Amino acid sequence: MRRTYVFFISILLIHLISATQVSAQDTITFPLKIKVGLEVSGPAIYYSNKKILSTEAYVSADINEKVAWVVGGGTLKYAYSQYNYEYLNKGIFGRIGADFNLLKPEKSLGKYWAGVGVHYGINRFNTEVPAFRDSNYWGLTKSSVAQKTAWGHFLEITPGVRAEVFRNLSIGWTISLRMLLYTGTGKDLRPIYSPGFGNGANRVTSGVSYFIVWNIPYKKKQVIIKKEEPDDTEDTAQSGSEQSGTGQQSVGTRQQSAVPQRQQ
Amino acid sequence: MGKIIRRSLLIILSVIVLIFSSCAPQGCMEETTAYVKASFFNKKAGKLLPPDSLTIYGLGKQANKLYNKALKIQPAKIPLNDTAQNCIFIIKINGKTDTLEFRYNSYPHLVSKECGYTFYHTLDTDRIYTKNAIIDLWYYKRNITTINEENIRIFY
Repeated sequence: MRRTYVFFISILLIHLISATQVSAQDTITFPLKIKVGLEVSGPAIYYSNKKILSTEAYVSADINEKVAWVVGGGTLKYAYSQYNYEYLNKGIFGRIGADFNLLKPEKSLGKYWAGVGVHYGINRFNTEVPAFRDSNYWGLTKSSVAQKTAWGHFLEITPGVRAEVFRNLSIGWTISLRMLLYTGTGKDLRPIYSPGFGNGANRVTSGVSYFIVWNIPYKKKQVIIKKEEPDDTEDTAQSGSEQSGTGQQSVGTRQQSAVPQRQQ
Repeated sequence: MGKIIRRSLLIILSVIVLIFSSCAPQGCMEETTAYVKASFFNKKAGKLLPPDSLTIYGLGKQANKLYNKALKIQPAKIPLNDTAQNCIFIIKINGKTDTLEFRYNSYPHLVSKECGYTFYHTLDTDRIYTKNAIIDLWYYKRNITTINEENIRIFY
């Protein structure tokens, strides 16, 4: 019975201590935003290579200062040819997921983003091999693969950065690391390039995207800022250099949460 | 602690980026022909043993032999005709001549972006061969691909 009392008193004290700490912390006003992003490298690449045209855009909405929901999509027109085959792919893709800001709110201030996105993607495309050649002991074979419509699925992780360069206008880039879940075309005729994913012959692909983002603030949120705590390593080094009396005091402070239990 | 996590995350991401950026496209380095991989089993020795002399060529292609009195071939790689549904080979094992017929279906397969397309084949279950040097013929993997695996076993 006595132990039960001690337990509840301990819990109460811990809550009181943490409540005191919270009230001592600062707050900032953090603007939550809806963001509309447009990928710019696709049209730029098309300018130099008329065989690839990819477009991509997304809309994201901040849930809080750390997390935003993201919905995006785009199109692809792809043609490729080399000495032994020609390939065509045309389709659309969509992706949904969340972006996580790793910056602290007092550094981010709703203007800067450095973090990672986790997205699920789906694409629908028409793939075709108008001509290919294969040669072996029996001679040269010329053939083709008829157009086929397929749905593919993939996962995507997108680390990157964005910064507001003008009022409500950001630019940034992301690196996309994608893992193919399902090609939709079977294992023999995997797409050489599919919308939103890239080289479907590989299970994992990567790419870089450059975005211009229009930010629309829709809500303001008060965010509590935690004061920076010194690292454990610094603490150890500091206490080591201090005199023994001061060192004991330091240890006592760090074991503050254990004090109520000793007062049983 | 938070700083350490963030720094670690940055390092991990940088490494991932380096790994992916180093995977630059290469030329075609893969096998692009789907051969029937035939291994030889000597009944007398009771083990896998290549013949002392092996000659193989397609019917009507005597001038262009796959193997010509070749020594110690294990396995023999026999290509099928993409445009036909059967293929006959003349096979001479230690001086004794046999014919071996494969019946199959062919279908296109993407090797890689760099290499392009080839044909894979699925062998029918029919095993058609003469029995001069060949004692028996087993089909192990009837799907003929570019993967290096035993497809058939010839007992002599």
